[in-house]
Amino acid sequence: MTLTFQPVRVVTGSDEEGLLVFDGELRLAAVLTYLSEQYDGISGHWYLEAGFGRLDRPGHPTFADLEEAQRWINQHLAKEV
Amino acid sequence: MQIAVIKEGQDVVREGDRPSRSCLLLSGFACVYKVTGDGKRQIVGFSIPGDIPDLQSLHLKVLDNSVSTLTPCQVGFITHDALRDICERYPRITVAFWRETLVDAAIFREWVTNVGRRDAYSRIAHVLCEMLVRLKAIGLAEDHACDLPITQVEFADAVGVSTVHVNRVLQDMRADGLIETKGTQVSVPDRERLKHVGDFDPSYLHLEQDQAAA
Repeated sequence: MTLTFQPVRVVTGSDEEGLLVFDGELRLAAVLTYLSEQYDGISGHWYLEAGFGRLDRPGHPTFADLEEAQRWINQHLAKEV
Repeated sequence: MQIAVIKEGQDVVREGDRPSRSCLLLSGFACVYKVTGDGKRQIVGFSIPGDIPDLQSLHLKVLDNSVSTLTPCQVGFITHDALRDICERYPRITVAFWRETLVDAAIFREWVTNVGRRDAYSRIAHVLCEMLVRLKAIGLAEDHACDLPITQVEFADAVGVSTVHVNRVLQDMRADGLIETKGTQVSVPDRERLKHVGDFDPSYLHLEQDQAAA
């Protein structure tokens, strides 16, 4: 599925740089936030701030880069319930 | 009692075990936890010196949770035969063990409420309050401060949010003047405020009046 990303600022207190992620039908599927320097091993990673539908699940993962985030999102959007 | 020193991050007992002894935590911090089918850990309680986190195995043959050390721990293993013998000979100790398991159940009820119905900020404040009161009761906390070697990953697994979220909440708490941290030392400048934020009432710990005043 082709995902579309749209930059957005997120009010999280510290990490503001984020992306809205839309699915192939341009429905909002997730919000990703870029982790700033305050996180020991995972600064610079992308964090699943919020997921909707099949992406609404406990345990918000972090991704080393956007490609990894995209793979994970596609995988879970495609998953049969 | 057989005493062992166990490194940090080691399982003392595991879910599914059929132990013939229970472990008394003599020093260090441990946690009681369960793991979901897809490998996610939920910490259901923190254990501190004086606790017997698997006392239930005296009567329940198969353990339905695991116990792991969070720091290096000194653990005393007491055989179930010895425990049964003590219980038969000293009814007051039997009553104390029973009371201990009832208080454990009260703590679990509070944690279900905490994880299910409070926001992350309150959840963490609540657990901090609980640890301060319990540690003070055994002489391991000053009025406003204690050594709390619990990592952000462990906090996250205890309150059911991500490590990123715990990191942010702790940053917010520092910025709001609720806590001060230095290494593993946590101090609380205003306990009443932290209790208010954490919706914390120590009644569920069933401590004596003076201990609960922490």
